[in-house]
Amino acid sequence: MSLVDAALKAKRVVTPSASGAPAASAPAPRRGRLVLENVSKDFAGSTVPAVRGVTLACEPGEFVVVVGPSGCGKSTLLNLAAGMLTPDEGRVTLDGRDVRGPAPERTMVFQDHGLFPWLTAAQNIAFGLKMAGVPQAQREQRVAAALDMVHLRRSGDKLIHELSGGMRQRVAIARALVMDPAVLLMDEPFAALDAQNRTLLHEQLQELWVATQKTVLFVTHSVGEAVRLGDRVVVLHAHPGRIRREFRIALPHPRNFDSPEIAQLVHLVRREIEDEVNRVNAQTDEEPWKPQAPDDLDRHSVGLGGGI
Amino acid sequence: MIWIVILSAWEAAYRLVGWPAWQFPAPSHVIDAAAGMLNIPLASGERLHRGWPWVDQDDVPAPAKGPPKRVITSPLIIANLVSAARLIVGFALSIVLGGALGLAMWRWVELDRLLGPLFLGLQTLPSVCWVPLSILIFGINERGVLFVLVMGSFFAIAIALRDGLKAIPPLYQRAGLMLGARGWRLYRYVLIPASLPAFAASLRQGFSFAWRSLLGAELILAVEHKGLGFLLATGRDFADVAQVVAVMIVMVMIGMMADRWIFAKLQAAVHRRFGLA
Repeated sequence: MSLVDAALKAKRVVTPSASGAPAASAPAPRRGRLVLENVSKDFAGSTVPAVRGVTLACEPGEFVVVVGPSGCGKSTLLNLAAGMLTPDEGRVTLDGRDVRGPAPERTMVFQDHGLFPWLTAAQNIAFGLKMAGVPQAQREQRVAAALDMVHLRRSGDKLIHELSGGMRQRVAIARALVMDPAVLLMDEPFAALDAQNRTLLHEQLQELWVATQKTVLFVTHSVGEAVRLGDRVVVLHAHPGRIRREFRIALPHPRNFDSPEIAQLVHLVRREIEDEVNRVNAQTDEEPWKPQAPDDLDRHSVGLGGGI
Repeated sequence: MIWIVILSAWEAAYRLVGWPAWQFPAPSHVIDAAAGMLNIPLASGERLHRGWPWVDQDDVPAPAKGPPKRVITSPLIIANLVSAARLIVGFALSIVLGGALGLAMWRWVELDRLLGPLFLGLQTLPSVCWVPLSILIFGINERGVLFVLVMGSFFAIAIALRDGLKAIPPLYQRAGLMLGARGWRLYRYVLIPASLPAFAASLRQGFSFAWRSLLGAELILAVEHKGLGFLLATGRDFADVAQVVAVMIVMVMIGMMADRWIFAKLQAAVHRRFGLA
């Protein structure tokens, strides 16, 4: 628990970026408590994965990562939170109010960015503000701040196809954050990026999150990503989707992604997922395949440089 | 280059063998006919004489009384302007009608089920087949021409637009909803812009249909204001093969120019914007 406290402390120590993200000076009663209460969703006669009886509460400012094998219903869970789907049972609430349909208070970053190709990067970011009726001058100001925030000051006038994959995701993040949402939903946003860009974006996202203190619900199949970013990692169980286990990642932010603690936690969570993958595979009547277990991580780290 | 060789050979064969010009024209006859329709007296198809390719001064009758013949008021220019005016009005009608129906068919699946197969069937109907119906309903007049033009092209626009709308990634709709674009705003700011590539394609296809329908209608209906199709009909009536060929060439050229310089450009611009290949 002390580590969690330390994490919270570290968050406060970091000064918000000079660009002045809108939510940097969050008011006293924190908003952004997203609760999924005993939520079930079935898709009869469809390959869309179902979820059953999932209860998950994301506290204001918390970074929750849902991780699980593909087809475990993690995207379904996220779409329920976004209001793109309505649950068959249970309820989804944000700060005590029922979630009804998609809205800018719960913006999402999609895996395939979902940016509009007929608009420039800046126009994409301004889109939600325009829909909300924000006056032009204020809009320009906020878009400029958002572009600054994702370090794309000079790319505002570029069209989407002129940007690299990583830049597109940064624009998508800016588009979501400029709406000053209560919750930021992220659906495997970095899955299509190469490893270098992904690490870079992990660092940027962490920095942004520390600065804006948004509640984030992040879905991924990558355990490494989950442990790097999350305060809490929720492992989902497949067929139907259920919560299997939760890990609290009590490391302070910003994190050093190469630290042994992270590596160790990844190892721990991965073992949990591995069991899950094997269980899913076992249902398909195929012989389970288990890789040769490598030596324990500890033995490698202990004794490194011991003779010095 | 290769065309110059072919046409020269053709012309040379003509001069040497001496086929009758009323059966099949030489390139020079076609050029004369085209120039004639532009009120330029030209006689490149004549045997070589002093002042060729201009008309032999001795053959020219005394200048007719009345206003001088100018290029701008020549039959070909007038015909082009008349046809262009009809095309613009009819094509605009087609776009509005076809666009609205295409959108409606995409929006309501039941309507699509009802009309989709019918429209596909009607699209295969050659547009001149609308002429008899048009004559019976509207008579031989401008409205009849417009009717044929619209009937010949708006199905194609509706079907192409519907298909294009269906191909919009659902992700755009989700993103729009998430950012607060609801109701008509979703259409205005997300779905309609997203359908631009489809719309450009449907315009291009619709234009070729409209152009063909218009010429067919003008050819058969031959209403008082003379269009390009009427010019073709006149050529037939006077057994002027050179004029017939000249008008056909003009039709092809205009169709190609409009397609290349307007619709292909438009499509390319949209594709560039969207980053499509």
